[in-house]
Amino acid sequence: MGTDMTLRNAVAALLLIMASVPAQAQLRVFACEPEWAALVRALAPDAEITAATSHLQDPHYIEARPSLIAAVRRADIAVCTGASLEAGWLPMLLQRASNPDIQAGRAGLFFAADHAQLHAPHDHVDRSMGDVHPEGNPHVHLSPDQLPEIARALAQRLGEIEPEQAAAIQGRYIRWRGNWNRARTEWRARAEALEGRSLVVQHSSSSYLLRWLNVDTAADLEPKPGLPPSASHLSQLLADPALLEASAILITSYQDLQPAEWLAEQTGLPVVVVPGTVTGEAPTETLSGLISEIIRQIESAEPGASDGGI
Amino acid sequence: MFRRFAPFAILPLAMAAGGATANELNPDVSVTLDGYYKQNETALSHREQGFGLGHTELSLSSPIDDLFSGRLTAVFEEHDGESEVLIEEAYLQTNGLPYALNVRAGRFLSQVGYLNGRHMHEDDFVERPAAYRAMLGSHYYDTGARLNVLLPTPFFWQLGAEAFAGDQLTEGDEDIGVYTVNTRLGGDISLSQSWQLGLSWLRNRHATLADTGDGSHDHDHEDGHDHSHGAAYTGENLYIADLVWKWSPNGNNREQQLTLSGEYLYADELNQFAASDDTNEGWYVSGVYQFAPQWSAGVRYGEVDLQEAHGDHFHNQTLEETDVMLSWSRSHFSTVRLQYTHQETTGFSNADNTVMVQYVMSLGAHGAHGY
Repeated sequence: MGTDMTLRNAVAALLLIMASVPAQAQLRVFACEPEWAALVRALAPDAEITAATSHLQDPHYIEARPSLIAAVRRADIAVCTGASLEAGWLPMLLQRASNPDIQAGRAGLFFAADHAQLHAPHDHVDRSMGDVHPEGNPHVHLSPDQLPEIARALAQRLGEIEPEQAAAIQGRYIRWRGNWNRARTEWRARAEALEGRSLVVQHSSSSYLLRWLNVDTAADLEPKPGLPPSASHLSQLLADPALLEASAILITSYQDLQPAEWLAEQTGLPVVVVPGTVTGEAPTETLSGLISEIIRQIESAEPGASDGGI
Repeated sequence: MFRRFAPFAILPLAMAAGGATANELNPDVSVTLDGYYKQNETALSHREQGFGLGHTELSLSSPIDDLFSGRLTAVFEEHDGESEVLIEEAYLQTNGLPYALNVRAGRFLSQVGYLNGRHMHEDDFVERPAAYRAMLGSHYYDTGARLNVLLPTPFFWQLGAEAFAGDQLTEGDEDIGVYTVNTRLGGDISLSQSWQLGLSWLRNRHATLADTGDGSHDHDHEDGHDHSHGAAYTGENLYIADLVWKWSPNGNNREQQLTLSGEYLYADELNQFAASDDTNEGWYVSGVYQFAPQWSAGVRYGEVDLQEAHGDHFHNQTLEETDVMLSWSRSHFSTVRLQYTHQETTGFSNADNTVMVQYVMSLGAHGAHGY
């Protein structure tokens, strides 16, 4: 009898807690990476946005932390890259959060890679090749030509989730598109001066942008995609004639600086550390600001001058 | 909530673009190879001396439709030269019921404690702590059903209940031999730190009628170790408290991560002859530091204070265990581990210190990075 009462009280308390959380009109967005948080902010500035990762974190290796599960539980839509970038943690978040809106195949789960043409898709993949994504390179957020289509699809999806905001979101998308096109024209002009340059990189995180800029990749510090640079691989690189053509070593801010610095010491190449994605601070708080900044850093990196970096 | 009913029909069909082949309809297959060399026999261990295969598993998983997904995990083990295939998991799982309810049914790992719900190959040490080996048979899985709810709080708060046949823990006649209730809270302290706290209660209705042996003072069954994989030391009530804290600079756990975890297990009402002060108790604390992307080092210390049933009375047994390990992972999918284990015991005949070398290799589908 007593247990019965306790149970009933517990259930009542539970219902009370659930009811006391107001059904907010505000759109709640879970962004797997900060670039998508920035894009959502441009399209729906009033949305409450949680970014699961920051520019200082490698998005391949995140754990399904309790705080992230709770954030997916509360969200109306999750905006992620897809193409297996989040394969290690997103499926577990979705399962543990068990949010009926945010599940595979439902409107509340948006993958940017579904709206892009990925580079380097593989018909055959095995793990001896490293951590290769069969769908292609997922780091599509630095692609000047593909972002507009992703933004268009995202604007449409946000409008479906929040129909009363659809017109306003569409309007912001058109404005965003205009700004992006203007920025892209400027990048194109700056790219002409960069043509023929080549860079040493670490991982394929910037390869969409480098290809667009016609900047070559001289070498990769990673022996295989996803494996950290090893001493033997670095000393092999030293003997690579392609290195003579390179003008700088480009790495992202979540990566270990040591391998790049070691190679810089051996070769005299400057090390350029750029954020892999948008940060909370100007000028890299938006995607176009980020691309402008990466181009500026590549421009300013001259062989022999070792003042690169941020 | 209007947006719940957003028209799914206008989902872009582009989702399936990109050359989907029929292969993608096959379940994800993953195989875990676990092999080891162990220098000496140790107390309460499920791994025999010499070269051996540990927890070799084959797992198939897939979405079933938009509401259900499923998983089958078969474990291949060898004991005294005999091979066995055990069904460790065979369950269906719902994807997103209303109110964030979550149902699992079939055979699965109970979610009590921190380690129990995890697959053994995710562990940082060769074997589970002594408290788990004694009181849960390393990992307690059974056939039954689970209901979880995640509360819509700003921090992580989950409530869960499970009902199991119970025979994997203690053989008995009840249809529902084991109930568990569990709550878990967690969150981030800062960009670099996160935590999780769990409290669990496992009610074992078979425990009081468990076979208590014939009372003869014969310790053979320790050495030819328990073949049933069930827990050797059970009680009607098992309480578990667990706490985990993780730190990595800027939350970038690819480069570095420190994990501190600890659990306390307490069981009472051991069997029909038990007095109120006959209890089983165990705890451990573990610290693992991944100091480079491919390297981890760890220390674990644990104790158990157990009552071994001998007919109508008990023999007290204690074990203090210290483990030190170093592991190297070439990639996400391969780990080689070196471990030294030191045991100090009373009431166990086969305690020893040992060096172990272990490999854990994952083939196939990408495993989840659980917390």
